[in-house]
Amino acid sequence: MSNKSKKATGGASDANQQKLAKQRSHDSQDYSAFKVVLFYCSLIVFLPVVTFFVLKGFVLERFFTMSDVKVNIAAAVGAVAALHVSLGVYIYRAYFGGSKASKED
Amino acid sequence: MSSSTSIDNPIYGPFFGVMGAASAIIFSALGAAYGTAKSGTGIAAMSVMRPELIMKSIIPVVMAGIIAIYGLVVAVLIAGQLDVPQNYSLYKGFIHLGAGLSVGFSGMAAGFAIGIVGDAGVRGTAQQPRLFVGMILILIFAEVLGLYGLIVAIYMYTK
Repeated sequence: MSNKSKKATGGASDANQQKLAKQRSHDSQDYSAFKVVLFYCSLIVFLPVVTFFVLKGFVLERFFTMSDVKVNIAAAVGAVAALHVSLGVYIYRAYFGGSKASKED
Repeated sequence: MSSSTSIDNPIYGPFFGVMGAASAIIFSALGAAYGTAKSGTGIAAMSVMRPELIMKSIIPVVMAGIIAIYGLVVAVLIAGQLDVPQNYSLYKGFIHLGAGLSVGFSGMAAGFAIGIVGDAGVRGTAQQPRLFVGMILILIFAEVLGLYGLIVAIYMYTK
């Protein structure tokens, strides 16, 4: 520590600023990663539930003349399909977007 | 009341349907919780050294959560058909119990597999990033076990 301060007596503020900038970039990276993960996790949790009830309540019962059981099945299959699509998008993003971030570090 | 209950529509008919809906979500949630906790310990141990891999390593947790959604879908489907014993035959109760048990136990098995694979896979990915593709493939095959249970449950539900 003392060695460092002796060397950097002239550029102490410079070093400090560099440290701050590094810390800030780390924080912003963490924040952006958190935002992406939060978005995809909420997408995966809520999209199938919303799809199920929207399909069941609005689309299938109004526009198609199906029996109750068939409406339920179609809504469930649609929800599971939406779930897997969003999971696939998340894995794609993690695989291709995540590797770029790890190369930068 | 007692006149309308018969041998096909006994008073305890809905009991089986209720147990089916409950077991669908209970066992799926059990498996999902085990998967989340087991792979979560792996993620926590690995993120200390490689925090930039968090986004990749969350995938086992997400896949374990999907198992619970399978159980939720079947439980909601079964619960939508529950009714008073006069309109709910014993046969329907048996079918719904079978559907709930099939998705519940398949989900539990898949959750256990995802937990163990996620723990080891995430720890390994921190040391050798090429393992990631293999981990995803194994996780997908573990996940599919729960999907098979869902398919059988939905097929039973249509009977």
